[in-house]
Amino acid sequence: MNAIDSTLPLAIGRIDSNGRLIEAGDRLAELNARAGGAVGAPLAVPQIATLARLAQRLGIGISRNVIAADGEDDLELWVRAEPQDGGVRLEVSGWRLRPLWRAVATEPERDGDFFRSAADWLWETDASLRITFLSIEAGARYGFDSSAMLGQPITRLFALEEDETGNLPILSAVAAQARFDGQKAELRGTGRTVRLDATPRTDPGGRFAGFVGAAHMLDLIEPLPDSGPKVDAPVPATPFGGFPDSFSQRLDRALRGPLGKIIANADSISAQTEGPLKPDYAEYAGDIANAGRHLLGLVDDLVDLQAIERDDFTTAGEPIDLADVARRAGGLLAVRAAQAEVRVDKPGAGETLPVTGEFRRALQVLVNLIGNAVRYSPPGAMVWIRLERDGDMGCVIVADQGKGIAIEDQARIFEKFGRVDPTEPGGSGLGLYIARRLARAMGGDLTVDSAPGMGARFIFTLPFRDPVRGSAFGA
Amino acid sequence: MSDNPVDTRDGSTIGAKKLLVRAAAADVRAFRALMIAVDDFFLPEDSRLDERTRSALAVLLRSMVETVEAEIREHGARLLGARGESVLAGKLGDEGHPVLARLSASGLLRDPELMAELIARVRQELLGNALPMQGAVDPETPSLINRFVQHPDRVVAAGAMAVLIAESRRRGGPDVGQLSQTELPAELHHRLVWWVAAALRERVAESEGGDVDALDKALSDAAQRSLSAYDEGDRLEATAMRFAAAIDAQPGELPNLLVESLGDRRIVLFTALLAHVLGVSYALARDVVVDPAGDRLWLALRALDLNRDTVAKVGYALCEADPRRDLENFADTLDAIAAIDAGEARVALAPMKLHPDYRAAVLALGRAGGGA
Repeated sequence: MNAIDSTLPLAIGRIDSNGRLIEAGDRLAELNARAGGAVGAPLAVPQIATLARLAQRLGIGISRNVIAADGEDDLELWVRAEPQDGGVRLEVSGWRLRPLWRAVATEPERDGDFFRSAADWLWETDASLRITFLSIEAGARYGFDSSAMLGQPITRLFALEEDETGNLPILSAVAAQARFDGQKAELRGTGRTVRLDATPRTDPGGRFAGFVGAAHMLDLIEPLPDSGPKVDAPVPATPFGGFPDSFSQRLDRALRGPLGKIIANADSISAQTEGPLKPDYAEYAGDIANAGRHLLGLVDDLVDLQAIERDDFTTAGEPIDLADVARRAGGLLAVRAAQAEVRVDKPGAGETLPVTGEFRRALQVLVNLIGNAVRYSPPGAMVWIRLERDGDMGCVIVADQGKGIAIEDQARIFEKFGRVDPTEPGGSGLGLYIARRLARAMGGDLTVDSAPGMGARFIFTLPFRDPVRGSAFGA
Repeated sequence: MSDNPVDTRDGSTIGAKKLLVRAAAADVRAFRALMIAVDDFFLPEDSRLDERTRSALAVLLRSMVETVEAEIREHGARLLGARGESVLAGKLGDEGHPVLARLSASGLLRDPELMAELIARVRQELLGNALPMQGAVDPETPSLINRFVQHPDRVVAAGAMAVLIAESRRRGGPDVGQLSQTELPAELHHRLVWWVAAALRERVAESEGGDVDALDKALSDAAQRSLSAYDEGDRLEATAMRFAAAIDAQPGELPNLLVESLGDRRIVLFTALLAHVLGVSYALARDVVVDPAGDRLWLALRALDLNRDTVAKVGYALCEADPRRDLENFADTLDAIAAIDAGEARVALAPMKLHPDYRAAVLALGRAGGGA
């Protein structure tokens, strides 16, 4: 948070025309003393002294956000320097410890980027909460006149709703100059509901300068070209963690591109394609690429998660050969298995197991199962992939020689974000949850049997397809 | 069963002769690449584009070309489809081989006027985004332009509204990418539209023997449609100029308007206010504002008889926003700036107020040299 908290103390100081400190409020005097200065001597905090000198030379009041060293710590200060009687009057507020490392981009910028990727449209206000910017196409899309709303109080556009505690989050945020999210509102005259989030803008003197905000449409009705009759659209259960329906697309857009670039660049640094490099730097780059891949995997999982949790999620019922799918999944993981010194025993080339399911999804399930098996196998171990027919189901069994899963944990591993050992690296805790949902969506199932120390056996089943009868329907 | 996804390119083998030719060409290519690197290395640091400007310029140029391309391609394909040329329509609608690469390679985009406009616009935007925001002393008081939206004079209020709309349109929504329009001056927009149409023609005509006449007709119709729908008066810069004219700032109001527009980060409005009172074009005022040397701006402020305090506030804000400007240096020269006589400043700036074409001709002649 960047805004000044009104409860934080303000220290006043005065400097004469020669840059000597004449008087200083407690905190300023202490800071100055710790920096080796004293009243009657030149101001010892260089950043503040610079600002005071500038204000004096320019003859105007200036404000800046200043980071000053205070012993081991960094203090974040708001300093306003105003020329007065030949000297300078200082107002120093803020006085908060600053985290040691911070990204280069300023917070509103970063928040803006985040909003941009997740919001349906954007808005900004000045300090009096009048709208200064609106995504201009939003009006046409959601049935209001965006151009008539510019310059108007924000309440002209939104009918704000109180939250459970009877407060308006936006007003609490103005008072505290803090960010807010989850302000529900109706777009006046359209019957549509939105959720508003925003971060405050702060000027260099720490004063509130308005909000940079985002709007998320809560009703999932497709945007209409005209507003039509007023419909009181009920707020539907939000599809996933309160994210709007288009979240996965935006997530995809916002993260996949940058991550892809990070991974590609880190890989080429790690491979030293542009020339030789100190080995440890090349290794760091390898770590960066791996971390990037991990994040990308997480993005994939979240996108999948959102897809499968939708009510209308379906899979295709294609005639597929589970043996073939298992061979391919094994092949895809051959490199990773070789790196981990694990052997994968794939079904033989002659084996077939005709079932009904969606090829892509079945492959995804098996890649997940075999990937897990490889990950949890000790070096030199073996992962078996076996095929069986069990009545009207075709089964593929993935067995490993890892440490196994305790009975009481066996239900948990299929839960969302359910991980047995959260300290273990890798994995989002979504893989098996998604895999089981996919298996069930295809009319099959995914189960496990295992005991600690005995390795784990995952059984993935899909409806068996009689090859003769099945061919009558064709593919 | 799905198909085998294994890549089955039939390993096109390259003949020995072709390989030799390519190897021979590699020498020439390597030399050319070296020369470009040498040129690049010896470019004076202060006239090179910094990385931020360069990448913002690349984004702007790309989105402009793509915006025009999409418009012409889509409408052209629709026309072709309606005229029974579905093969051509399909070819035209195909998004492969972007026009931007072709236009860049052709050197057409090196057009000085186009690049001058784009670079100035990018610099102006970067400067505007970096200006230190000024919060309200009184939270009940709306920001500068929002106060004008409430103005009793309908012309002023409508002008303020138009600027807000144009700025919102320029900044776009969360789906970055295509612009709603290029917002170029009309001549430049014309040039770009026809270039894009020509590049589309080349792309489609090359790959498809087909009826080139039908293609030409459709592309030229689509381009003309795009031109006739374009109104340079909708540009943010144009609306800001109209607004500045509607306010017609009087000497007593000007200092606050200038300082407050910077505090609200409305760099376009600041520039337009300045252009209006100086009586020069927006583009010229913008050059003066984004020029990190600042000398012409200080002269202009003095020509308007603005006092030391106002010059200091404007200079301070611009120095904070632009890393190329040196605040210490500005503080050192401030007294000298404030001491300039307003009449002298006006005389010094007189060439700026010449007819733009005449001024351009004078500058061009000077650049060309060969005089006595």
